[in-house]
Amino acid sequence: MTSEEIKNLILEIIEDIDDEADFESLNPDEPLRDQLDLDSMDFLDIVMELRKRHQLQIPEEDYPNLATLNSCAVYLEPLLRNA
Amino acid sequence: MKFPLLVIGGGPSGIAAAIRAARFVPGVLLLEKHSRLGGLNSYFYRNKTLFETGLHAITNYAPPGAKAAPLNRLLRQLKLKRKDFSFCQQYRSEITFLNSESLFFSNDFNLLKTEIQEKFPHCIDPFQRLIDFLDTLNPFIPSPFRSAKKIVTEILGDKLLTEMLLCPLMYYGSSHENDMDLNQFAIMFQAIYEQGMFRPKTTIKDFLDHLIGHYKNFGGEIRKNSDVVKIIHKNSKIYGVELHSGEVIECDQILSTIGFDETRKLLSDEQVTVLPRLGFTETIYQVKADAHLMLPLDKTIVFFNNSEKFSYKRPDDFVDYSSGVICFPANFDGIEKKPCFEIRATHLANYSKWKAISADKNAYADLKVVSSHKTLRCLQNIVGNFSSNIVYENTFTPITVERYTAKIAGAIYGSPVKVKDGDIGFSNLFLAGTDQGFLGIIGSMLSGVSIINQHILPKL
Repeated sequence: MTSEEIKNLILEIIEDIDDEADFESLNPDEPLRDQLDLDSMDFLDIVMELRKRHQLQIPEEDYPNLATLNSCAVYLEPLLRNA
Repeated sequence: MKFPLLVIGGGPSGIAAAIRAARFVPGVLLLEKHSRLGGLNSYFYRNKTLFETGLHAITNYAPPGAKAAPLNRLLRQLKLKRKDFSFCQQYRSEITFLNSESLFFSNDFNLLKTEIQEKFPHCIDPFQRLIDFLDTLNPFIPSPFRSAKKIVTEILGDKLLTEMLLCPLMYYGSSHENDMDLNQFAIMFQAIYEQGMFRPKTTIKDFLDHLIGHYKNFGGEIRKNSDVVKIIHKNSKIYGVELHSGEVIECDQILSTIGFDETRKLLSDEQVTVLPRLGFTETIYQVKADAHLMLPLDKTIVFFNNSEKFSYKRPDDFVDYSSGVICFPANFDGIEKKPCFEIRATHLANYSKWKAISADKNAYADLKVVSSHKTLRCLQNIVGNFSSNIVYENTFTPITVERYTAKIAGAIYGSPVKVKDGDIGFSNLFLAGTDQGFLGIIGSMLSGVSIINQHILPKL
């Protein structure tokens, strides 16, 4: 997956969690949680969906790497290179 | 076959936990002892009518857009759509005490504030201080017992108002006698007064069926009539369960929603000592719709106390008729009018007394009739006389609750001791539901979800 595809995957997962999520003014360098009003329970869904869809086991200490859309892309790119 | 996760107990918390897990993991199995799911919130058929077993109202109402509200967070976690449910809000509810004017409250928190301003004018500023104080608490952090009664009386400076405010919160969720833990008070205050009450437009059966269908769509399995008699373990690790039939089911993890002491009993052959618990009776009167002419149309639930001192404890007699709760399930906004409607009334009861008399079937049946009659007399003074319109009535005692829900002593709010983090000393067995400390349908379902999130998903 390319960096762009990964970002789309994340947005698709978030849309699936909250169909009213508004991506219009999303800043890719700002935390997703604050901008989209996600709580820690919703955030866990992103991790679980990545595991379900791509068999990715993301350890808890790596969760901060998923804070922003751009940091997701950076962190996930090597893991999803062949996906 | 070995299951990655067994959920024991098919009440709301078990169903929610099972859905949450099945969303991400194949092979979740939900085990229910009874022939029907729902636990305390199930249903039965009598007189060609579906009756709900436990439901008065669901607390924690939230409008659809309120993302952070418990109800909407729960639906998101379970991937359920709010628009697939039809919820009806309460009109208004009443707290009525001897020698005092009634207090009304609704899903608009301002009504309660106005009521206090009018009827307890000296308490309106202290009441605002109470709200501000509760906002500063994080009631989900485990902490030692703090007396809500003492702290709230200190803030409000009025014993009567404190007791009146405590009454609905105790009746709808306290396993403690005559007091509540402050954290529990804060949770219930928010759930009942600040958020409010609602119910499904149709029946609890439709609500349950929707959840069960959703769970099955995620590939989850259910086995009813499956009475777990033993949890197989060595040291602090569990390996599976044994059913009453003798069948052994192996698994990697277990979530038990049947109660703390109820779970301990499955882990040990030794006698488990149980603290005294609170039991209740409830009578359901099915009445012809004409009775509406003489009954309040705008009240959803009435919490009453007719004695000098409000007592929320195990009565010495079979039933304490001096206080209780009257629910009109038809008095929610949007419920369709039918030829008959129901009135439900609850009082505190003494389990041991009912247990002793239940050995004699006839005496037990007679006492239920007498109890229903006494409840009716009590209701007449509060909401009006509808006795000539009754077409059917049914009384449950703590014995009935024990029989159908397997809760020790029929205690609907479980053990007075709560295990907030669900950790009962095992590496792969956790507790959720009533004894984890979240109460009400939304609370217990969130309990199931949060224990799955915290302890089970990271290991699956």
